[in-house]
Amino acid sequence: MSHQMGRVVSAILERHFGEIVQKVGDDLFSYGGRPIGMLVRHTGLPRNQVVDSLRTLLKFDLATFEPYNEVVVDYKLLPENVLLMIRYPRYLLQMKSKYGSEAEMLVEELLQQATCTATTLLFNIATKFKDDKEKSITILGLKDMFISLVTAGYIQQAPVAELKEGSEIPTLIPVATIVPDLDSRALLQAMNNGHINDIKDNIYWRVNYDRFHLDFRDEIMIKAITRRIDENAGELMRFLLEKMYLTSAPWAPESSPLCAVELRERCRSAATDKPLLHQFVDQYLKVLEENGGGFVRRVGDAGSGQFAVRSRHAALQLVLCALEHCVTERLGSKAARIFRSSNLERLIVTGKVEGKTLRGRPIRWSNHISKELEKPMNVAMHEATEHDELIYTKKYIEEDDIQKNAMLVNKECKQLTYKLMEEHFISVQPMRKPASAGGLAKAIYLYHVKLHNVAYTGLEMCYRSLHNVLRRAAHERSAHARLVDKQRRVRTIVHGMRLRGEPQRNIDDVEETLTPPELAVLQGVEKRLKQLSTAELELDRNLFIFKWYFMYPYVE
Amino acid sequence: MSVKIEDQLKEKILNVAKKNPKGISHKDITAAIPEVSSAELVPAINELLQQEYFDLFNQNGVLVYKLKAQTSKQAVKGADNEEKVVYNLIEEAGNKGIWIRDIRVRSNLANTQLTKVLKNLESKKVIKAVKCVNASKKKVYMLYNLEPDRSISGGAWYQDQDFESEFVDILNVQCHRFLSQRADKIKNNPRGPIVGRTQSYATANEVQKYITDLGISKVELDVEDVITILNTLVYDGKAESSVYPDGSKVYRAIDPLIPAPGLVQVPCGVCPLIHSCDSTGLVTPQTCVYMKEWLE
Repeated sequence: MSHQMGRVVSAILERHFGEIVQKVGDDLFSYGGRPIGMLVRHTGLPRNQVVDSLRTLLKFDLATFEPYNEVVVDYKLLPENVLLMIRYPRYLLQMKSKYGSEAEMLVEELLQQATCTATTLLFNIATKFKDDKEKSITILGLKDMFISLVTAGYIQQAPVAELKEGSEIPTLIPVATIVPDLDSRALLQAMNNGHINDIKDNIYWRVNYDRFHLDFRDEIMIKAITRRIDENAGELMRFLLEKMYLTSAPWAPESSPLCAVELRERCRSAATDKPLLHQFVDQYLKVLEENGGGFVRRVGDAGSGQFAVRSRHAALQLVLCALEHCVTERLGSKAARIFRSSNLERLIVTGKVEGKTLRGRPIRWSNHISKELEKPMNVAMHEATEHDELIYTKKYIEEDDIQKNAMLVNKECKQLTYKLMEEHFISVQPMRKPASAGGLAKAIYLYHVKLHNVAYTGLEMCYRSLHNVLRRAAHERSAHARLVDKQRRVRTIVHGMRLRGEPQRNIDDVEETLTPPELAVLQGVEKRLKQLSTAELELDRNLFIFKWYFMYPYVE
Repeated sequence: MSVKIEDQLKEKILNVAKKNPKGISHKDITAAIPEVSSAELVPAINELLQQEYFDLFNQNGVLVYKLKAQTSKQAVKGADNEEKVVYNLIEEAGNKGIWIRDIRVRSNLANTQLTKVLKNLESKKVIKAVKCVNASKKKVYMLYNLEPDRSISGGAWYQDQDFESEFVDILNVQCHRFLSQRADKIKNNPRGPIVGRTQSYATANEVQKYITDLGISKVELDVEDVITILNTLVYDGKAESSVYPDGSKVYRAIDPLIPAPGLVQVPCGVCPLIHSCDSTGLVTPQTCVYMKEWLE
């Protein structure tokens, strides 16, 4: 909930719902919960417009309400859900690639309707494509697809409003999803009659975003492993995730142990596709564990090895990787080297001295800090898992060591270090010696990466960029609104003329009202808008990684 | 006659000293040459000391004579006493060098005199002045034939106390190239991923050999130097390191876990003005030139 987030949310609301909803959304965002009366007074909008906006927001699950007292309700914006609107195209793509175009249609319609009964949904789509012979969509096919999507958890039942006794304000109660049993005959009959008045259906459905997000997460992890090792290891990661869903909570920071025997079974069944994987399962497991960025950890030897998937650690690694990319692009690869070395170097801080502590860890000044023996990453990672909280407190580096590690010219190195500090990528911890007799109390400056804080910096930058991209797109649209409008009108007229079968010459006349320079401008606008919307999606992917990281509570 | 006996005696003492490079005490001499009385011995030793054959040390209250290196004896030939003292101090400092102030304090010579002496020695090419990399103003003196210590010269990476970052960059690129040539071995290796991984690893020795064979470096690079370069690759995120069971470090080129994320694909991610950008004011997304260039 930051200022930057508010700006993005505002821009999204404007794009999808217009200025009035945006105004209401802004007010809700900046003040938290508010009753209608206050909203009317502060936004200066007529009451019915505010009510309509709130209805829209509530319908799309972008806002929620809670009783203030028996009669007054506080409305609250759900900014996280508003941000998801950027992600809608990805949901559709995911559906299309996984279940085909029918599923895509279902999800698209459901996203547009926000909540809807199964019957209405199926009927609407089937009616829409009734005349489309190419796609040959039948209501029965849609019904089967709907049921499989519900079974897979992509669609869930919407919460039900319940009135408590003595209160006029309903509360939304989440309902466990039960796979529906839809009557095929009734559906067919409805199609023939052309209306659905005969079917009684009062179960409402909506899209389950979380299920999609799990898919996205798995994909990122599998892709990362494929990049790091190879396709076989990626496939193994997929199997591990599959197994993980059976035993652990899907977002668990670390899954419960998975048995290698089962994995071997799974690999055997995929032996025709990936013969190498089947042949070298154990080796792949070992390599995955040692070189796979710490996504997987060996937790025990029972049953010929037990492994845990570490979702939290994966998120951490990926955020770090994204931030490293960011530092590289912003300040150059040498700055990235400094950034990484301040994150990798570890100092052991031990002993005691009067009251001086470094993040709760006492320090001895006589031999104040000793560098830990150089360890390869995987060994250090291993230890990190055992003392998850320790490794952060150890990650400090002295200024001289930065220079030595990064092999840079003294001046350049200092400049980059300060630049990194200025942009909040690294932090400094000054340590003053207790006043010595010489009077030359020299401070030591220890640099380190506070990943959690840096990730926030990255997140804020993402919000800012996303807002800018949205703004720019809106600007492009409004600047060329007249032309775009004209083009649309010409197209409608031409379409109408074609239907009426008017001669080609007349059609050409109408088409020529768009002059070549205008066409060129339109092409440019189209290209720019396309680029901007690609950028939106990419930024959203980036945001996803950050959100995934922040899903787990911060452990120092 | 007596001169000849004295010479023989000196020879004997020298022989004893040569056998014991750690130094000999008076006792050792009498034990080795029992036929000579101590009265005869004293003038002989005194003469040897005067001729700069021996250094005199006090070890646990016992005087120990140690044979001087022959070269050093010759180097100060024809030098006066001050020069000898200064020379000895410089020699003692070894390849770490000694600061002029320390020489002054320890030799008790006046500043002007000392500079003269140092100049003399320098012109004779007996000693040399070396600039220290850590403190550019600080000059240290050491014997002419010595190679300066790493802490003074900065090792292979310094040329006239300037850090050669281009050289480091070139080596960094070459090392990365060498590692990347093998990196693909791990992918779908028909002999299994562990063999593949081992094939994709390169030890520091192999890299050093490759770099030497390339002939890009005029300076002799040892394995330690190459390891520092390889570590910069690790800090660049282009390689990961591991340890073989025998303790030798191995490196492997890697790709980052994710390709360039969305943030750096838009101009805002790399924009130097991102923190001054706002909806209104001079810097806005609508009027942004970076954005305009990017969209062109």
